[in-house]
Amino acid sequence: MELGTFGAILRFAMELEQQAVDFYEGAVGGELEAGFGELARGSRKRLKRLERARREMVTEMILESITGLNGDDYRVDVDSKVDEAGLLRQARTLEETTACFYQDAAAKMPIREVVRLFRRLVRENEQRQTQLARLA
Amino acid sequence: MEYGKLRNYIDGEWVASQSDAVLDVDNPATGEVIAQVPLSTAEEVNRAVSAAAEAFQEWRETPPLVRARYMLRLKILLEEHFEDLARAVVKEHGKIIDEARGEIRRLIENVEVAASVPSLMMGYNAEDIAVGIDEECVLQPVGVFCCVAPFNFPAMVPFWFLPYATACGNTFIVKPSEICPVSQDRLFELLDEADFPPGVVNLVHGDKVAVDALLTHPDVAGVSFVGSTPVGKYIYSTAAAHGKRAQCQAGAKNCLVVMPDAVLDRTVAALLTSAFGTAGQRCLSGALVLAVGDVYEPLKAKLVEAASRLKIGDGLDETTQMGPVVSQKSMDRILGYIEKGVAEGAELLLDGRGIRVEGYSNGYFIGPTIFDQVKPAMAIAREEIFGPVLGIIPVADFEEALAVIKGIPYGNAASLFTSSGKWAREFKYRLPCGNIGINIGIAAPIATFPFAGMKDSFFGDLHGQGRDAIQFFTDRKVVITRWF
Repeated sequence: MELGTFGAILRFAMELEQQAVDFYEGAVGGELEAGFGELARGSRKRLKRLERARREMVTEMILESITGLNGDDYRVDVDSKVDEAGLLRQARTLEETTACFYQDAAAKMPIREVVRLFRRLVRENEQRQTQLARLA
Repeated sequence: MEYGKLRNYIDGEWVASQSDAVLDVDNPATGEVIAQVPLSTAEEVNRAVSAAAEAFQEWRETPPLVRARYMLRLKILLEEHFEDLARAVVKEHGKIIDEARGEIRRLIENVEVAASVPSLMMGYNAEDIAVGIDEECVLQPVGVFCCVAPFNFPAMVPFWFLPYATACGNTFIVKPSEICPVSQDRLFELLDEADFPPGVVNLVHGDKVAVDALLTHPDVAGVSFVGSTPVGKYIYSTAAAHGKRAQCQAGAKNCLVVMPDAVLDRTVAALLTSAFGTAGQRCLSGALVLAVGDVYEPLKAKLVEAASRLKIGDGLDETTQMGPVVSQKSMDRILGYIEKGVAEGAELLLDGRGIRVEGYSNGYFIGPTIFDQVKPAMAIAREEIFGPVLGIIPVADFEEALAVIKGIPYGNAASLFTSSGKWAREFKYRLPCGNIGINIGIAAPIATFPFAGMKDSFFGDLHGQGRDAIQFFTDRKVVITRWF
């Protein structure tokens, strides 16, 4: 799916965060529950931040078309009903891919406030990967 | 019909119009009727003016800090209903959802700025203008104001005026566009929820009958208008003849000058959104590209290539990059201009006629259209088309570009794309246009600045938004004091 507008990119980002919320919350029980719960809360906060960005950072004077960004390149299939090793593997992939998306989207986005937000989200994704490493 | 038959809001009550005359409101993407708007009678307008006049005295005595709190309450409600409002704008107008969100954001900005009225409305004083004599200037509200709104920013434009007018202590009447009246209906639900005293804000739907009733009513102190130049001239002269103040934002033919030293890829992206955003129906839309010297060939090629890739469709689809035009009537007018351009001898590089959007066979879609070799004397170079039609005029140098712009009767906006500070300075210094963009395709002032305009693009002196709005909606009273 071509992401050629500000709104399409923000919506895709929100879908990624919602997917993370569902995945981390879905993996209930076991030793990962507390750590995944924290990541789910973090994703929920990121989702709200993105919603706010879509509402507040839309700057019509530079609402320019965007090319070369495709959502299909950042899709991750996850399944919460696997063993802990599988969950951790998927979580790492999810965080890496999400970071990659924000990195690429920041390079395309003409609105600098949103670029800053995406870069902040990338830094958080890196911290979240460290959190995951501690859970392993 | 999603929004049903719209009602007026007068004296704090929703009231059905007594008029039998109604118009259908279409969703331009689907052609479906989404609402019906009544064409109110002069008597209904008079009732709104009476209610506003009745409410004025108590409202002007309400402390500015308290009036500001109404703005803050309204701001919270607007944020809560942000997405719903943006979607209503898409459905009535056709613009894409990002553009509608931008419109609602600017609307909220104006409410935020108006909430600063306790300091914005402060006067000034001087002691000892003569020995023992002091002088002060106070800003006072005037009375009943109204606005006559356009279809292209149906939610935002009345909020260039209403928040400032009411925050300053005036009362207000909105006459929305009869083509796109839905979002004002939704906004008045929020004004009602914010609990403004009855009569402070009023909504009257209608057409010229309602406008004339407002313009000639002795209790209306002033009018704000945004729309075409002929109607702007009519409103300005009629208001003046009836002793009212007026600010009339009118038509445009905005030029985008591209210098050989412009950063081409970024420039093309900016030109595209300027010319084809909101399907060319912004008063800040770029209508003519003046390509200076050697930039002409590469710019032309890149523009056509990029414009032909724009995704056209329903504005509610987040991936859509350009929506339909507002109505069948607009579509017919724009198609007429394309035919005129061909007949005048301009070279049609990209033809937006006859495009089909799958699943939307009844929508009012015209694709991006680009003419090359446009001459300044052609109708497509001089007249406002208000659609997704862009003309390219090759010019030899900066001076020729300026001469072309100065020859156009409008002075709403112009943009320059360059890496040179010298050219940028010359451009903003010398051009008779109100809104200037330097490497910005849509020079849209934020709420703290006036939405400017010159020549046939504006009639009046004080503009909408910012400090100009405070001046427009107040009188200055000077008091000179001596104590014995």
